Amino acid sequence: MELEPQIIIKIAAYVGGGLCMGVGAVGAAIGEGYTAALANEAISRNKHLSGDIFKSMLVGQAIAESASIFALVIAILLLFMDVPVHSLLKASALLGAGISMGFGAMGSGVGSGFPGGQACKGISRQPEMTGRLTTNMLIGSAVCQTPAIFALVVALILMFIDFGNVAFNPTWAALLGAGISMGLSAIGSGFGGGMAGGASCEGIARNPETVTSVTTTMLVGQAVTQTPCIFGLLVSFILMFKAFPETTALSPSMARLGAGISMGFGGIGPGIGNGMAAEGAVRWVARNVKHQNELMRTMLVGQAVSQSTAIYAMVVSLVLIFVV
Amino acid sequence: METLRQIQKKYCSTAITVAIFGALLFIFADQKAIGKGLVLGSVFSVINFILMGETLPLRLGKSKGKTFMWALGSIYFRYIILAIPLIMAIKMDQLNLFAAIVGIFLVQIVILADHALKIIFSTREKQV
Repeated sequence: MELEPQIIIKIAAYVGGGLCMGVGAVGAAIGEGYTAALANEAISRNKHLSGDIFKSMLVGQAIAESASIFALVIAILLLFMDVPVHSLLKASALLGAGISMGFGAMGSGVGSGFPGGQACKGISRQPEMTGRLTTNMLIGSAVCQTPAIFALVVALILMFIDFGNVAFNPTWAALLGAGISMGLSAIGSGFGGGMAGGASCEGIARNPETVTSVTTTMLVGQAVTQTPCIFGLLVSFILMFKAFPETTALSPSMARLGAGISMGFGGIGPGIGNGMAAEGAVRWVARNVKHQNELMRTMLVGQAVSQSTAIYAMVVSLVLIFVV
Repeated sequence: METLRQIQKKYCSTAITVAIFGALLFIFADQKAIGKGLVLGSVFSVINFILMGETLPLRLGKSKGKTFMWALGSIYFRYIILAIPLIMAIKMDQLNLFAAIVGIFLVQIVILADHALKIIFSTREKQV
């Protein structure tokens, strides 16, 4: 049985849409569950503050859910939009879009639950710092959404740009690889950014006087944590916009797909590792603010070393794109 | 201190007000589809935020596993509701899809804007 191109495109859109929403909702649910678990602890510690804790939890979760709402938007577009281009390349692009946004929302969803949970716990410890804790929670959660926004941009480009006039082989693999590279590499950065945000709320509750130093360390730590997903974005853009010569061999296609897989998986660990380094630094700045400079230096060195594996993954991806 | 209901009322009413004023501006500029899409999206954003507040107490007092299942169920239920304006905007020419997408994020935009303004004003007060 031979399938019409239009049917193949529809199948790819449906599979992409399902993946996008299914995977995208998992991260937000884990993050919300974590926040609720810590809110439980906070309420049992200080029951008369349950109103403030609920309020903080609601506001935090509304922001934390943004990543999975991005996934919802892309999933609905994939399921219900009419695709005007009837080239088979579109099938690969739509599947790549679903992968990019689904996995891209996962890390941000989990990560943004950490500041929410720690803010609830912090309110029960230091009720007078409620306002500052809520602000820090929102900043931490908002920065966590950056990888999901990158994934959204890649998904929209894959969906709406017409790739019809380029060589089918190996471009189909490059477009799929672009989605994999962006989606997977966003997981670690979203998760790691949340770890730093959570530690900042914990630190402020422990030692309210260190609020400025803690926030600064958190923002620097979170910024470096985003680097692996920026590498993923870079590889995605090269895969999407580089013109590849037409070929009948299978190996160039597999090389482009491999480039996406290398950068995607290669970005997960460094993102989480960077987040751990940032979390440690933020936590200890709150306890020992006099040594902020040394702690921040150690954090940056640790993050640079942790980053090296993402750089290896990116180098292998670039070799697979430009040399093989 | 504001209660949960008061904070819901504050953000929901601000989001709806912003959507209505925005829609009026677009309608006067002869961009009715954008105005309608913005209002439709923001109405569903408000419904989502209210439902989120209503389901919060259901997640407390349970084990981590049960809390996760409640959170996942709540997300899927609310997202089915959030999908309605997007599907309507895709299917109907009278509604602008991009405006509906902006509309469903309006409560989040209002929350972040509210806190950003508070930070700006408190910094200015300290400088004065």
